[in-house]
Amino acid sequence: MTINKFTMIAAALLSLPACKVDGTTVQGDGVDTTTTADTPAPANNATIELPVPAEPSVSFAAWFKVGSQDDPVGREGLAWLTGELIAGGGTKQHPWQKIVELLYPMSARWGIRVDREMTTLGGRTHHETADAYLALLTQQWTEPAFDAKDFERVRSEGLSYLEKTLRYSSDEELGKAGLESVVFRGTRYAHPAVGTVAGLQAITLDDVRAFYEAHYARDRVVFAIGGRYQPDHLSALEASGEALAATASAPAAAAPELAPMKDKQLLLIAKPGADASISFGHPIDVQRGDDDFYALWLANSWLGEHRNSASHLFQVIRDVRGLNYGDYSYIEAYPEGGFRQMPPTNVGRRAQLFQVWIRTLPNEHAHFALRAAHRELERLVEQGLTQEQFELTRDFLRKYILHFADTTGQRLGYAIDDRFYGIDGSHLERFDKALQSMTLEQVNAAIKRHLHPNELAIVIVTGQAETLRDAIVADQPATITYPSPKSEAVLAEDQLIGAHKLGVPAANVSIVGVEEMFAK
Amino acid sequence: VPGPPGKRMTVLPSLLALLLAAAPAVAGPPDAEAPKQDAPAQGDIFPYPWQQKTLANGLRVIVIPTPSDGLVSYRTVVRTGARDEYEKGSTGFAHFFEHMMFRGTVKYPADKYGEIVTRMGADSNAYTSTDMTVYEFDIAKDDLETVIEIESDRFMNLAYEEAAFETEAGAVYGEYRKNRSSPGFVLYEAVRREAFRKHTYAHTAMGFVEDIKAMPKKYDYSLSFFKRYYRPENCVVIVAGDVDPEPTFALIEQYYAAWKPGYVAPKITAEPAQKKPKRVEINYDGRTLPRVAVAYKGGAFAPEDRIWVASMVLAELAFGQTSDIYRELLLEQQRVESIRAEPASDRDPELWSVGATIKDPADVEAVLERIEQTVVRYRDELPDAALVDSVKSHMRYDYLLGLDTPASVAGEVARFVGTAGELARVEVLYANLAAVTPEDVREAARRWLVDAQRTTVILREAPPPDPTKLDPAKLDKAPKGAG
Repeated sequence: MTINKFTMIAAALLSLPACKVDGTTVQGDGVDTTTTADTPAPANNATIELPVPAEPSVSFAAWFKVGSQDDPVGREGLAWLTGELIAGGGTKQHPWQKIVELLYPMSARWGIRVDREMTTLGGRTHHETADAYLALLTQQWTEPAFDAKDFERVRSEGLSYLEKTLRYSSDEELGKAGLESVVFRGTRYAHPAVGTVAGLQAITLDDVRAFYEAHYARDRVVFAIGGRYQPDHLSALEASGEALAATASAPAAAAPELAPMKDKQLLLIAKPGADASISFGHPIDVQRGDDDFYALWLANSWLGEHRNSASHLFQVIRDVRGLNYGDYSYIEAYPEGGFRQMPPTNVGRRAQLFQVWIRTLPNEHAHFALRAAHRELERLVEQGLTQEQFELTRDFLRKYILHFADTTGQRLGYAIDDRFYGIDGSHLERFDKALQSMTLEQVNAAIKRHLHPNELAIVIVTGQAETLRDAIVADQPATITYPSPKSEAVLAEDQLIGAHKLGVPAANVSIVGVEEMFAK
Repeated sequence: VPGPPGKRMTVLPSLLALLLAAAPAVAGPPDAEAPKQDAPAQGDIFPYPWQQKTLANGLRVIVIPTPSDGLVSYRTVVRTGARDEYEKGSTGFAHFFEHMMFRGTVKYPADKYGEIVTRMGADSNAYTSTDMTVYEFDIAKDDLETVIEIESDRFMNLAYEEAAFETEAGAVYGEYRKNRSSPGFVLYEAVRREAFRKHTYAHTAMGFVEDIKAMPKKYDYSLSFFKRYYRPENCVVIVAGDVDPEPTFALIEQYYAAWKPGYVAPKITAEPAQKKPKRVEINYDGRTLPRVAVAYKGGAFAPEDRIWVASMVLAELAFGQTSDIYRELLLEQQRVESIRAEPASDRDPELWSVGATIKDPADVEAVLERIEQTVVRYRDELPDAALVDSVKSHMRYDYLLGLDTPASVAGEVARFVGTAGELARVEVLYANLAAVTPEDVREAARRWLVDAQRTTVILREAPPPDPTKLDPAKLDKAPKGAG
């Protein structure tokens, strides 16, 4: 539930440089994708097409196979800065301000998302203005100017995002970024896509040019077009690929290799005055396309469907006890969860994590809420779902996924992701098919195979780091009081939650000051 | 007491007279028991055919078939928002009801209601703004009747116990704390508090914090709030997507006909004219770049008034992406991280405001001065006609591009009708937009960007606490921003 007017204003005033994609994204109907799992087939870089002649607009996307995992050590943020400069800087034809002025009467824009493995530039315009729009859009990647002033502006936005927004005015995103830094420690997934403060500061314009030359090549790009487009638009889009180098000189990055997680680890991010924002999770080794992925998806939807009151964690923590605003869980990357209702696209990753997100709550309730969430996870693994829960969630999902891809731009995004994961056909259709024959036993087996309540990284942003650390390590019962009367059943369950042990070894706990987060 | 926008029109172009005849306003006693078939409206801007009917109890229904693959979007607009919370100590209740409406009825208690919604795989939500509360359902078309049934049931028969009421009050306070951690919200809240002394726009849709904290004790008040405002004459149902109008009207008539009218209008005090400029500095208990808001007392939503329409053009022209100040401060000198203006566009006269996030705390005064220079310039000079045309084109495409799914169509119409009352007024708005001249833009600046009616708020990081006065235990416990 949202408050309309101020969220608009807050979003407008908040700089989110990693989140500019203009709603781009979802499943491509009838997209011809052919890859086989075993033999490394030649990359299928054919353009994705999704004509919708009745629609008033045209949508475009270009997926470049590069991401923040390609950042050189010490230059964390280079992929982000390069992508943002391509999308938000001048070209050899026009300075950036001129491009803004040319786009303005069309009310059209484009946006870019740079993630760990993918960089996707896309946007939409009215069909009446598609010729002019496309000419401008393609110049962004064929003729980037890499202007020094644009470079300083974009870098300063990145630094401000890290130093101000992420550290000081977005505790929930900070907690999630902190969790990734722990789970993916030692890999090129550990830093946020926007980079680190030291990395961004070290990057030069020459680094950006060299990165562009090495990665933005014809064999690393897939175009997508949809809506009311003309054949000329398709050919102009494809012709822009011809202007790039034929092959990329940079080697393709290997998938990150994670050290197995042992026990539970706790990172407290100390931020004076902050309420508590909690994220916990662990790596998982299932992906879209795997049978187990779809079974686990159903289980996760029951446990914590994103921003949906059907989420079991929401029921326990928010609905019954009113401790916070929402409680959810994920089996795929889900950036900017606080700003979106449906899953993002173009955040495809070869390494994923399971995570639970407990939205901001008063520090005095953090220990109790953490125990409640962990207890529910443990019960899910021990007991599995019941037939009734399974059927309800299955029926829910079969219709709910209709909303995942309700624009052409979103459908293009899903089609791009299908290419990323090498899925033959469409991920969402495949899920729908899987749901038709899925059994409770498959779901409960997938839960046992892939969810591990004893091997967790826990991250808490809090203004009471030491108090919370002491309470969690001591593992004494957590108590709770309410401003309003609660039923006997709730109070009895509170006893069980309060007594539920977390078992975090003292040696596995660290406290880091917020100013150190993503410094380098 | 400000009335509905249609009654305060000062300019009445002939086109509007025509549209009003075609789509009569709902106020006044219904003239027949049977639902009234309003003439289908078609104009130049709204890209889909739509039909409206008014039930005998005053509930209006708008059906908009759009190209879509089996999806339907259902919106219920209650034309009650923060604006209607006029009783002292009881702000935030419009938003609170947005929460309570998920607490069930006798026929469908919360868990049963939840199960039905879950089984439909519906995307269901709600929001509250200054002028309205909107309930949202995005569903597969096969589930339309189910939604009509459960929606009519909860609007007519909402029932909740005191304990559930108190629990939800805790969640609302949690939502306030989440929002309070954003400097943008803190600034927005302060601007309203400073700019308005009498009018209910002084508080945000969340309400004043002390009122939010006191909510759990106001169970009885909540019941009276519901009785007054959740009435058919104060609501509009919008259905867009894969639907046929006639059977949809029939279903809605079937389920909503028993809903009894009884709306009681709020007693809102008009804001007296501001006599001199105000300026306030506030602290933010976290890290942030400095932010400023320069807010002028603007007009009320009035698409029939071309000068008011020009005030929307003015916001874009003077502070939008193609403005001189944007190019200079954001792109060339990189002194601000963002700058933009929002026109006043609510039911009652609200704020025409400029917001900026400034990179260097030492640069705040210079940026404020540059904002005021810009305002003076638009009051004094005629803007370039080609730039005005560019802004008008931008606004037109912006509107059209925002209508691409059933959810976005229903959502946009809900937002518009919540403020405007009648969807037909959208044609008036865009017809007048096409007619706006540079002279109109200058007139808008002269009418509303008046120095004496300006409120400036500057938000900065709180200075570091004085260590000699520090009690670490106490500080650690203070919930951020709760004071």
